[in-house]
Amino acid sequence: MSKITTLERRERPFDPMPKPTSPSEDGGGPRRPETGSPDKDNLLKRMRKVDPKQAERYRQRTGQ
Amino acid sequence: MRLFGIETEYGITREDQEVVDPVVESMKLVRAHLTRAFEKTWDYSGEDPREDARGFRVSGLQQDREEDEFVKQDAHRPFSFREMKSDLVLPNGARFYNDHTHPEYSTPECRTLRDLIAHDRAGERILQRAATRRNRALSGPHVQLYKNNTDFHGHSYGCHDNYLLPRSIPFSSVTAGLLPFLVSRQLIAGAGKIGVEAQESGFRPGLFQLSQRADFMETELSVDTMYNRPILNTRDEPHADRAKYRRLHLIIGDANMCEYATALKVGTTRVVLELIARGAVPALELDNPVVAVKELARDPDLKAVVRRKAGGALSGLDIQEAYWLAAQKTLSGQDEETEWILREWADTLRLLTSDRSRLVGRLDWVTKLWLLETFVREERLSWDDPWLTSLDLEYHNIDPARGLYLGLETDGNTTRVTNEADIEAAVSTGPSDTRGGIRGLCIRRFPDQIKSVQWERVQFTGWLLPKTLDMSDLFDPDAVKALTQVLEAAASPADALKAWSQRKEQWQ
Repeated sequence: MSKITTLERRERPFDPMPKPTSPSEDGGGPRRPETGSPDKDNLLKRMRKVDPKQAERYRQRTGQ
Repeated sequence: MRLFGIETEYGITREDQEVVDPVVESMKLVRAHLTRAFEKTWDYSGEDPREDARGFRVSGLQQDREEDEFVKQDAHRPFSFREMKSDLVLPNGARFYNDHTHPEYSTPECRTLRDLIAHDRAGERILQRAATRRNRALSGPHVQLYKNNTDFHGHSYGCHDNYLLPRSIPFSSVTAGLLPFLVSRQLIAGAGKIGVEAQESGFRPGLFQLSQRADFMETELSVDTMYNRPILNTRDEPHADRAKYRRLHLIIGDANMCEYATALKVGTTRVVLELIARGAVPALELDNPVVAVKELARDPDLKAVVRRKAGGALSGLDIQEAYWLAAQKTLSGQDEETEWILREWADTLRLLTSDRSRLVGRLDWVTKLWLLETFVREERLSWDDPWLTSLDLEYHNIDPARGLYLGLETDGNTTRVTNEADIEAAVSTGPSDTRGGIRGLCIRRFPDQIKSVQWERVQFTGWLLPKTLDMSDLFDPDAVKALTQVLEAAASPADALKAWSQRKEQWQ
């Protein structure tokens, strides 16, 4: 069986390498929030302030 | 050899005007950064976007009919091309200017992901501070900036990631090895978008996509960047010794707000380029990459499969996993940064299928989708409500008082790759191990004796003819550090160039 055959969709689950502690987690790189979905209250307040028509007015010229 | 950089074109608007002139606003924003008079120091002589890496030169670059009309109007404006561009070279080695009516920030060349992310974030701070100064002059918070890639009316602008490569790698190997990866990279690096659009056509709300740019990908390979955009841009503009190097200029990427997504985007691409250099990429040629990039973008459930040329079909995750497996087999144990990339890449692919909520604050499309789902539920909206498009836009606002992503970050709900000290340092100084740092040091040490600057050289005045610091082959970090010492110790550019010349002779 070729390597790519083992990758066809139905050959899951993908089993990546075990994850050791990142050296960067103690200040050298990424930190992770402890929980999944964060608190929503502040964000909902911020989102409700957004003008529903804002994107309709937003026009740009084509860039690269 | 590792060297990369990111160019970001920002969206700009004036909320107090019904019709905004983006040329004038972009110019004024860039000029608002200045504390002294604008000087035309950027040297355009090294720029030729018509050279194609496939071995030919095109006579012109394409743009759409609407842009043709705009360009005709621009020709009658009361300022010159150089004034319109308002090119600035910053003390951190970055370039900040008005590119195609968008304020653009190009990071200095970086050697590590951590430096690159710090400089990408420094760009946000520099632009936002310029907007604050401009708004002070306007007596209100009228100018707003967006680190995104669409106006939801069929106009896209880019965020380009660039990689220095040895020219000895055949370009055909780069394209064959990279295309399937780029088609699927949006799974980890897409910024997310509500709605579907295309150049010169309308916007259809409702569908959530992984990527902002997928709608605008129209061909596999092309030198063009504003029309008929390619998955893999073939521009051959190395900004380095052409005999030895090429610069891979990727235009398919989205502008990321998540530091983690930017790190994965550039880190995994760097890893795949190393696989290509070693002849170790998986053979995954797709039947129709342009269709595939759109099919994968329009399926946030990640169930869509795309056809392989050799037969069979693969999902985006399958493609990413194939590249990860090859990288793990070939590059594992190489160095700390590569280990970080391999580990986080694997973790991300696993979480995309097992627990996507843990990627909120790490991947932009997952974060944006979570925000919109929350809002739809709370406000009982339908998915084609225009409010969602406005929220999508506001996710990318770089004003910390307004931006939705920055709100999440302020609350501590994002995964950081840098910290505030890294970003502030990157606002004022360049990387210590690349020519980008040298460029910035020249700007800081000898601001009044610089005649011109561009990516690969700095020209100094003070002689009958200007003298040049050539950096077209300055990629050895030890050489960069030696030159840094020379520039820091020199009393003048003349002293520095003389000392550097002697130092190089000793070296050779």
